[in-house]
Amino acid sequence: MSEKKHRVSRRQFLTYTLTGVGGFMAAGMLAPMVRMALDPALEAGADSDFVSIGLSEDELSEEPQRVDFTVELDDGWYQSEQTQSAWVFRNGDEVMALSPICTHLGCTVNWGTNEDNPEEFFCPCHFGRFERDGTNIPGTPPTRPLDVYEVEVRDGMIYLGQINQRD
Amino acid sequence: MKWTGQDTVVYEKAKEYVDTAVIPLLPVAGGKEQQESVMMGEFTQYLTEYLEKQYMGRVYLLPPFTYLKEESGEEKKNRLSAWAAHFEKHGFKFFLFVTADMQWRKISVEEAGELVWIPAFSVHDMEPGKRHQAIEQQAQQIIPLMTQQWT
Repeated sequence: MSEKKHRVSRRQFLTYTLTGVGGFMAAGMLAPMVRMALDPALEAGADSDFVSIGLSEDELSEEPQRVDFTVELDDGWYQSEQTQSAWVFRNGDEVMALSPICTHLGCTVNWGTNEDNPEEFFCPCHFGRFERDGTNIPGTPPTRPLDVYEVEVRDGMIYLGQINQRD
Repeated sequence: MKWTGQDTVVYEKAKEYVDTAVIPLLPVAGGKEQQESVMMGEFTQYLTEYLEKQYMGRVYLLPPFTYLKEESGEEKKNRLSAWAAHFEKHGFKFFLFVTADMQWRKISVEEAGELVWIPAFSVHDMEPGKRHQAIEQQAQQIIPLMTQQWT
């Protein structure tokens, strides 16, 4: 008896199958779209943005030291390596990494190269000066502090992330 | 600054700060001498680009001054002086000519600017990190010649 009750009519069978197949097809089309739409959001948090500079935390001192490291750049299909530099040192409890790009017009600053002000960053182009923590010294051309790298310490090794502006 | 649209925009705004022109002097030759000419050109390009990167706020890297090997010294000198004179009229005070070509050692261009002659080495087959180091080393020799003019 119960078998009879549950019998599926031809019309019902067709409706079920068509809905099922149609659903599969729709899902097959939508899934890649959803994935594409979400992709940038999934990527942003990735760790790969941080680059090791091959220096451990113990090797740091209060004296800024220059490190060069390479970052891989993707420009369309063209991949290239770019050399970047940073001035890394211990600032109180934290590790600080400053970008060497002068905030005036983009020359490269150096630590302690100006004989009159050995404890400062010095820009050779227009004699801009910055304090040890990157603060620009009033009366010199730069108008804002040196940019800072995001710093992460993993297992005692130092990793640098993106460069942030301060003002 | 480089010879690009983006940098000319910055230059227009910061003209008074950019007073030094760097001009690479590149010999051009075909046939047997082509390889050497390319090698010199590539080396000079890396070297001047390094200078530009370090001192971009004060230095404008102009397009290379090119010439055929058979062009006479007198002619080259006149043409180069004309370049310098032209840019001097437009606000540049210091000129640095960078070359790997021996010929320039016999041509005096002191009135137009500072000439730096540096023997070239082949850079195309060097691994990027090594190349950067080697170029930096060579550039350190030139930099004082440039910065001395500023003070």
